Amino acid sequence: MTRLLANTRVQLVLRLLLGALFVYASLDKIASPPAFAKAVYQWQVGGPVPSNVVAVTLPWIELVAGLLLLAGAWKREAALVIALLLVVFLVAAGSVMARGIDVENCGCVSVAANAPPSAWPPSWMRGVGWFLVTRNLLLLAAALWIVRGPARLPLLETNGGLP
Amino acid sequence: MLLFLDMAADWKRFVLILVAGASLGLAWNAASGRGFALGQSVLVQTGDELVAAPDGKRLLDEGALFLDARPRDFWRMSRIPGSLPLPEEDFERSFQEAEPRLRRASAIVVYCSGYGCEASHLVARKLREKGIAAAILDEGLPAWQDAGLPLDTEPRS
Repeated sequence: MTRLLANTRVQLVLRLLLGALFVYASLDKIASPPAFAKAVYQWQVGGPVPSNVVAVTLPWIELVAGLLLLAGAWKREAALVIALLLVVFLVAAGSVMARGIDVENCGCVSVAANAPPSAWPPSWMRGVGWFLVTRNLLLLAAALWIVRGPARLPLLETNGGLP
Repeated sequence: MLLFLDMAADWKRFVLILVAGASLGLAWNAASGRGFALGQSVLVQTGDELVAAPDGKRLLDEGALFLDARPRDFWRMSRIPGSLPLPEEDFERSFQEAEPRLRRASAIVVYCSGYGCEASHLVARKLREKGIAAAILDEGLPAWQDAGLPLDTEPRS
């Protein structure tokens, strides 16, 4: 398993998947900042004004870090930023679950509110719960693996990338 | 762990990514036309009247009618003393039941389950459309409880 994860091609796939996921996750939030702010409010961490700042800045940090991962530039630092975000999300999710707050849509990817019960993804995937925690732990492991990976990958970076 | 991260990453780049992302976000919010005012809740719209919990308690003591905009089951479990259920999800039917009392009330305050809850704002606006003025309890029940104000926790049917 360790040898598999150390394989440069596996590292490349992990990096591209993580980058694409965070770029995709940022787009709906950037398109509608007020809707994302409402999603952040549902977590009830910190009050409305700090939540506003999070709602405005977080999607762009996700976008910049995701694009850097896709480009293979500053990939360790970009992965470390994503790891930091995931740790914050995990702590916030633990707080929400401990307080018994029912978050209908975590705002992780889509900010659409009031989805019908038959909509995809189902409510247990949209809300804050053990699915979200497990998914974020897996993403955190992938991000940390990229942080400790080789500095240069042969497929994309021999001639390119930012310094 | 920290030593491993310290060896692997350039901290200046790490900070630069955070600062660049945050700056782009603030600029987008200010200039894109899709943004909103950061200094207040995005749920607050023109015409909404907010009251802080201590002012709400004063209004309650003066005889104001409090309305619980959460689903009725939440009201059954606990509520601000003397409040009536007027759930946003079942507004029209509940309004018809409560309309005589609402029209007689000297003042009305609507609340729900915190600053992330939009129901109190929606109910207050629907009441306004029907010609009934209603204030919104700022940050809802958590703010009421944080201020040490009483709750009625006797179960209701």
